[in-house]
Amino acid sequence: MVRLTALALTTVMLLASTMTSAQEMSLAVVAHPDVTTHQLTRDTTRAIFAMRQRTWPDGQAVRVFVLDNNHPVHARFAKEQLAVYPHQLQLAWDRMVFSGTGQAPNRVHDQQAMLERIATTPGALGYLEREYLDDSVQVISME
Amino acid sequence: MIVSKSFQWSDARSVTVIIAGLALGLSAEARSEERVLDTLQMHGFLSQALVITDDNNFFGPSSEDEGSLKFTEIGANVSLRPHEDVLLAAQVLSRRAGGDGSDASPKLDYGLIDYQMLSNQQRTFGIQVGRFKNPFGFYNQTRDVAFTRPSILLPQSIYFDRTRSLALSGDGISLYHEERFNQGLLRTQIGFGQAQAGDDLRRTLRLDTLDGSLDPRESAIGQIRYEHDGGRIIAAISTASANARFDSSTPGLSDGDFFFKPWIFSLQYNEENWSLTGEYAWRNSGLEDFNNPALNFDVTGESWYVQYTRRFDENWQWLIRYDSLISNRDDTSGNEYEEKGLGPAHSQFADDITLGLQWTPHPRLLLAGEYHHVDGTGWLPVQDNPDPSETSRRWNMLLFQLSLRF
Repeated sequence: MVRLTALALTTVMLLASTMTSAQEMSLAVVAHPDVTTHQLTRDTTRAIFAMRQRTWPDGQAVRVFVLDNNHPVHARFAKEQLAVYPHQLQLAWDRMVFSGTGQAPNRVHDQQAMLERIATTPGALGYLEREYLDDSVQVISME
Repeated sequence: MIVSKSFQWSDARSVTVIIAGLALGLSAEARSEERVLDTLQMHGFLSQALVITDDNNFFGPSSEDEGSLKFTEIGANVSLRPHEDVLLAAQVLSRRAGGDGSDASPKLDYGLIDYQMLSNQQRTFGIQVGRFKNPFGFYNQTRDVAFTRPSILLPQSIYFDRTRSLALSGDGISLYHEERFNQGLLRTQIGFGQAQAGDDLRRTLRLDTLDGSLDPRESAIGQIRYEHDGGRIIAAISTASANARFDSSTPGLSDGDFFFKPWIFSLQYNEENWSLTGEYAWRNSGLEDFNNPALNFDVTGESWYVQYTRRFDENWQWLIRYDSLISNRDDTSGNEYEEKGLGPAHSQFADDITLGLQWTPHPRLLLAGEYHHVDGTGWLPVQDNPDPSETSRRWNMLLFQLSLRF
């Protein structure tokens, strides 16, 4: 009985962990191919997407691209990768835009547009599901 | 003459090189200009409210007939990044909250150059020069933008209109610093400059009947803000020292100084679908150095509120809030104030229970409604109720607002 419970528990835990890793695997932080920074901390990534930090660590201007608030990939990216809720991000942007402390990110309507804009805008930063990735952009790893 | 001659016989090739160089330089400049123009952003908002009260007037003749439509906020801003470390930003605001139409004349809300001299994975440091918005409590910097407010009216005990101009912005220099830690970030901002001292302040101080002018003087403001775990918990302490001088031209009356030294402690807890927010303010203000002692005063007031907001069905949010103001800690009931013949006791406090609802059917459209039950007139605008003795202690208010943005 004990062994059975243990087995069941292990199975559940394994299942849960593969499910989370599958979700985490499916989203990537991506940048313009010429960006020299290849790794960002989560805090810096969050600061850049919150539009509080305006440059890459090497000083290049960063251009942030995001999907619409109601796009499911945007919500997932915010929650899973940045650990913030989409409504918090929106409020942070509004507070910047209307107090003279920052700018709003650039909006794209779908992931195809995201890919194209990131590939062609120097300093661009955004996110994509892995199936949309190709050689025109680079993946930034998060510590 | 010699120059033109020497130019004439100069090598045609070098001219070509110069022209080519110029063309290249120009096109490089054009390219970078294009890139700079890529960073140009324009945003704006427009809000129109309907205010209905049973007794007392708020933002216009709200207790008469169909209520007051004299609560309008219109703003537009522009920002540009001419260089990777530099941000230029300016906003013009037209706001009418009661009063006559001339109050709505557009004013520069902020206009500044922001230079971020340090920006790496651990920290950011920058400076703002110009007219900057004061970081005061959670909401002051964008207090006139409906989309950033949880309700049509911000908690009036702290964000009241009576001394609005003083809290709004400063003309001078502001420094900001952000330090990132493993689990959170610390943001510090300090501003030095001249506060605004508008007619609202003069009316509130009851100096509007005296000849003279109220001019802003050097002021300072500071805020420390800590955000834990991606903003799940936010805590902030704000303080300021705002000053103005009344330059008297009333015969026999000396000049006098106004001071305002508030502290605000702010705390917020955020979950995916709800937020709990509380702020406490300790406000010391007064007039000093008038040769007429009847004008001088030094009082400390207290304000606090607790607010719960709940998001549901994606585009909806409801709110409940209890908001309390005491004008003078030494006379919380206002009885002494009334005994001295200064006005009704109920003008010295206000307890407000608010229920609110917001609907965002489209990202650019916000519709809101809310109900206030208020005991006291502590934050009731003086200009809407010139005679305090005619106000009612207990009153109710209903507001509706439509807001658009681009």
